[in-house]
Amino acid sequence: MSHEYAVELRDIDKVFHTRHFFTRDEDDNRRRIYHKKTVHAVDHVDLAVKPGEVFGLLGRNGAGKTTSVKMMSGLIKPDSGEVFVDGMEVESNRLKILRKVGVVLEGTRTCIWPLTPLENLAYFGNLRDVRGSVLRTRAEGLLEFIGLKDKMNVQVRRLSRGQKQKLAICIALITDPQVILLDEPTTGLDVQSSRSIKDKVTEMARNQGKCAVVTTHDMSVAQELCTRIAIIDAGKVVTCKPTDELLDVFREQRYEFRLDRTPDVAPLKAIPGVNNVEPLNGQEEPGLLVTYPADQELRSAALYSTIQHLSKEGLVLRSVSQLQQTLENVFLQMTSDKKASL
Amino acid sequence: MGFFLVMKAELVRTFIIMRRYWFSTLMGIFIGYGMLMALIYGFMNSSAEPTDVGEVASEVGTALESRAADNGFAVNATESALGFMLGMFAFGIVGLFTAGLQGMARTGELEQVCLSPHGLVTNFLARSFVASVNSIITWCILLTLISYSVDSQLHLDIVPLVALLFLTYFNLIGFGFMMGGLVLVFKQIGQVAMIIRLAFIGIPLFVSESIYDWDIAANPFLLVVRGILHIVPSADAAICLKMVLVGGSGYSIFAHPSFFWLIVNGFIWTTIGIACFHYLESWSRQKGTLGAY
Ligand SMILES: Nc1ncnc2c1ncn2[C@@H]1O[C@H](COP(=O)(O)OP(=O)(O)OP(=O)(O)O)[C@@H](O)[C@H]1O
Ligand SMILES: [Mg+2]
Repeated sequence: MSHEYAVELRDIDKVFHTRHFFTRDEDDNRRRIYHKKTVHAVDHVDLAVKPGEVFGLLGRNGAGKTTSVKMMSGLIKPDSGEVFVDGMEVESNRLKILRKVGVVLEGTRTCIWPLTPLENLAYFGNLRDVRGSVLRTRAEGLLEFIGLKDKMNVQVRRLSRGQKQKLAICIALITDPQVILLDEPTTGLDVQSSRSIKDKVTEMARNQGKCAVVTTHDMSVAQELCTRIAIIDAGKVVTCKPTDELLDVFREQRYEFRLDRTPDVAPLKAIPGVNNVEPLNGQEEPGLLVTYPADQELRSAALYSTIQHLSKEGLVLRSVSQLQQTLENVFLQMTSDKKASL
Repeated sequence: MGFFLVMKAELVRTFIIMRRYWFSTLMGIFIGYGMLMALIYGFMNSSAEPTDVGEVASEVGTALESRAADNGFAVNATESALGFMLGMFAFGIVGLFTAGLQGMARTGELEQVCLSPHGLVTNFLARSFVASVNSIITWCILLTLISYSVDSQLHLDIVPLVALLFLTYFNLIGFGFMMGGLVLVFKQIGQVAMIIRLAFIGIPLFVSESIYDWDIAANPFLLVVRGILHIVPSADAAICLKMVLVGGSGYSIFAHPSFFWLIVNGFIWTTIGIACFHYLESWSRQKGTLGAY
């Protein structure tokens, strides 16, 4: 790919308007003859994805992930701002760009049910301007790789949900696209299949210089698959960092102290630098979960003070451990209603 | 060319589905035949009101036996059967753009089609073309069966017929595209579209060459009616097709005013329709109604 960014969103804004007639409004529970509602689905988002990257979009339900993906493929027009794919503005080069992107949308009925997977691939391949022997070899290769080869000649309506999802992914890849947009690709897939899809995406990004944008609710998928992650909440980008850095943000903060009994929490909370203290309830051993600030000097001083305090109280310290941060914790902290300030 | 590739894909798909669901394909033809025979029966027997189904069946039987006696009836019946078929054809084609498109939007198939680099217009042109060919073939089979049943001779002049069918197709899809665009943006249009589609069954059923014999001097209002008939798609197509197939006018149809109207009408509707569709498609992407219905 010749351009610096494979996909770029520049200051994208999207507001949906819906009109309701003769309905009871859920917010204030009043009946209205006519009511116009607006949803700010995507709120001035800037994102850029380089070739070779697997970019994760995380966010709660209704955060605006699908809307962003649809804007990257030109299915939804942004109200303001510009979307670029491979250096071309999407709105004015829509048909050209569709040759470069493969899209898997969430939960839609991608395939035609009375046809078999192979016939589906032939149909959608033709629709996407792939034909002849290229189409045939690619279709069989894809079905082989994804593990649908034995169901190749079974009508789609007889396939299971996960198998349909696999076919949807094959359809998106039939054009051998430069940019792959995957909206919740591993929903409904078994461990092996989601593994093989992760491997395929990683391989395409690493070896073929393609770029993938993946939205998912599965934190382990995101943590394993994505090289960079953006968390969006209510249409705004909360953070956008390489996966390792994102995990680092909170890494050195939480320590678990195992003790012989549970001490009084209040004096510990008073120690300067200690952000939070929680007794470890419901565990076999008594203990404390103490949260420290990310800043190293502050944390060091606070850690010493904590240990001094514990020894002065005459407690036996059995172990101290730093908690491994998972993406799930980071995600929860960033999107919780009392958002962690960064 | 994109159009032909999509058309090929669409043809293969239609064929596979027809073969795989051969029973419903056959039933479709049987039901069509039954409906047409009932219609013809209604024409022959508009005075006597039959009371039960058995009676109807036997009366159709006797009426068909005495068919040769009254050739005027046979012409009339075939003509109205033809009109009805054309009406159903229009109903189906416009329906592809209204109910069909609505269904596709609901299931998400529409988004898949929108991801095709050929563009939505090309895709729908190919789709409707294949659907037309499909239904024309079906109606041809039916028409042959019917004309055999009522013993009326059809005039199969291939060149005028193919030309007329092509023009009819453009006549209808232009209108279809316009309705389709509206359906994309405004969900409620679907219900209105149903009424319009029903009107499309009625128009070809009742119009005939006789609109040119209307006594305009006696009733100037008829001029307005005739004007409207020239504007709505499918009226002139029905007149021409009836003249060729039943009246046997052959190549002379190319000199008929209705043929002229059909060309103009088809051209204008297609242009307006596709232009509207382009505009409305872009609007629906703005509103986000391609997928979420
Ligand atoms: N076509 C539409 N018309 C009106 N509102 C819409 C439309 N599409 C999305 N929205 C609204 O925009 C917001 C973002 O929706 P979006 O589908 O992008 O969320 P998401 O992040 O994909 O959520 P999920 O995780 O549930 O898939 C939601 O509040 C939704 O109600
Ligand atoms: Mg979504």
